[in-house]
Amino acid sequence: MSSTYTLPVGPLHVALEEPMYFDVKVEGETVRAVELAAGHVHRGMEALAMNRNWFQNITLTERVCSLCSNSHPATYCMALENLAGIVVPERAQYLRVIADEVKRIASHLFNVGIMAHLVGFDSLFMHAMEIREIMQDVKEGVYGNRMNLGALTIGGCRYDIDEESKGFMLAQLNKLKPLVAELHNVYDTDPLIKTRTQGIGVLPLDKAIEYEVVGPVARASGVNYDVRRKAPYAVYPELNFEVQTDTAGDVHSRAMLRIREAVESVSLVEQCLEHMPEGPNQLAGFVQIPEGEAIARSEAPRGEVFYYVRSDGTDMPQRLKWRVPTYMNWEALQVMMAGCQVADIPLIVNSIDPCISCTER
Amino acid sequence: MLPFLKIMVKNLLAGPSTEAFPFAPAHTPARFRGKANHDKSKCILCGICRHVCAAGAIQMRVVEDGSGVEYVLWHNSCVFCGLCAHYCPTKALTMTDDWHMAHRGEDRFAVREDSFVRYGQCSTCGSRIQPRPAVIVEALGTKYPDRFLMCPSCKRESLAKRSVPAKPAMETSETSDE
Ligand code: SF4
Ligand code: SF4
Repeated sequence: MSSTYTLPVGPLHVALEEPMYFDVKVEGETVRAVELAAGHVHRGMEALAMNRNWFQNITLTERVCSLCSNSHPATYCMALENLAGIVVPERAQYLRVIADEVKRIASHLFNVGIMAHLVGFDSLFMHAMEIREIMQDVKEGVYGNRMNLGALTIGGCRYDIDEESKGFMLAQLNKLKPLVAELHNVYDTDPLIKTRTQGIGVLPLDKAIEYEVVGPVARASGVNYDVRRKAPYAVYPELNFEVQTDTAGDVHSRAMLRIREAVESVSLVEQCLEHMPEGPNQLAGFVQIPEGEAIARSEAPRGEVFYYVRSDGTDMPQRLKWRVPTYMNWEALQVMMAGCQVADIPLIVNSIDPCISCTER
Repeated sequence: MLPFLKIMVKNLLAGPSTEAFPFAPAHTPARFRGKANHDKSKCILCGICRHVCAAGAIQMRVVEDGSGVEYVLWHNSCVFCGLCAHYCPTKALTMTDDWHMAHRGEDRFAVREDSFVRYGQCSTCGSRIQPRPAVIVEALGTKYPDRFLMCPSCKRESLAKRSVPAKPAMETSETSDE
């Protein structure tokens, strides 16, 4: 008699509270194989985009997913600017990087916080979320919203940073820095976190390359790939930062890598605030999008975002297509989960920082 | 648990960090993007706001007698992106910092910005044109305020009548020298 049975997890995933279906083949307590089925909440956003004009799509793409909600319109605008040959003012380039990095800090802290929650360490989870709240206050105070910054427009940025908001931002970052360092220490040394996450959900380098994973998942497995370095955009070539990598490729190393990246992002924001030149933060007047096609890519908190746009010279895109980072990372779960314990499934799933809302765009 | 114990004690001593709202006012930053506000005295009915609104929250309907436009912004459809306020050329639309928008389900069609914007009149022939509010004319400065108040055909006429001497015909002597 075979002791293998199938364990259905989902469609409303118990740990993620998001719709994703896992067909897990289990032998005793050990996972032998995983199959994924997506598509429960498909929103047809690419079709919606073709029914909206260039400006409306800034708002639409911002709503693909709330944690990467700046990367999507930023990449969309970049694709349009590539198509129309628009040169974005330098100050706007800095402002874009600031918005991107603020979002990255908040997104990474959210993910490591959820990890503590899944381990069962809820007071640490709340502490991490409270640290993240410092960044939420920045978003609310400088941009006007806690999730969707609304920072971008075609050819520039909608917001500007004056002396007051600059001071506020720097003060918040100074408040954040020691707390993140402390958090790093806790995640690094806490015995409970370590036993539950080290050596779990391992994705070796060769598999990471084979599955073409992106973002922190790839970097934690030793793939030194970051769009900000490989195909620099905005003002990244002028800024100092180190692409974080690790070789362990387990749940723990992915979390630690995210905290280290958040630290890098803090320094990036500070550099931008310091070096930002005076000047306009957007182009004057409306832009015309000519006929043609273009692409753009950028590094979202979860990995590479890729946009393709085709225009027939009218007000609306003829085609708008984008590839999201989570899409690349899902399949690798089959490698990470093979041989793990049933209890570790939520932790491993969370470690790829899955985003159902962008997978199901 | 040990490395965290110190932090936990510190957090316990610091007390709750949540907002005391509704028992005390909640802090709202000045730049907060809340409810949109439409100032009909500045609106020139250009329709840019409706054009850029992805949520379809803005409607503009000409009233029956043709005297003006009924402007409606549905707060229930609005997603607070602020794009309309950004592109509004006269800043008639602004995002306020008001986030108090709770209401009963039965009132959902009543939560809206409702204004009636009357059409303007051509200063010369009196025909119907887009509104030309005084604030906007002032803001334009002294460049061409009188022409701004005209309908397209009177504007053309006034431009044609301008007594600017025609440019002298091109001298051909230089080229013929070659
Ligand atoms: S804020 Fe955005 S959604 Fe709301 S009315 Fe303006 S453009 Fe439309
Ligand atoms: S509110 Fe502003 S953008 Fe909208 S029609 Fe009036 S002037 Fe134009």
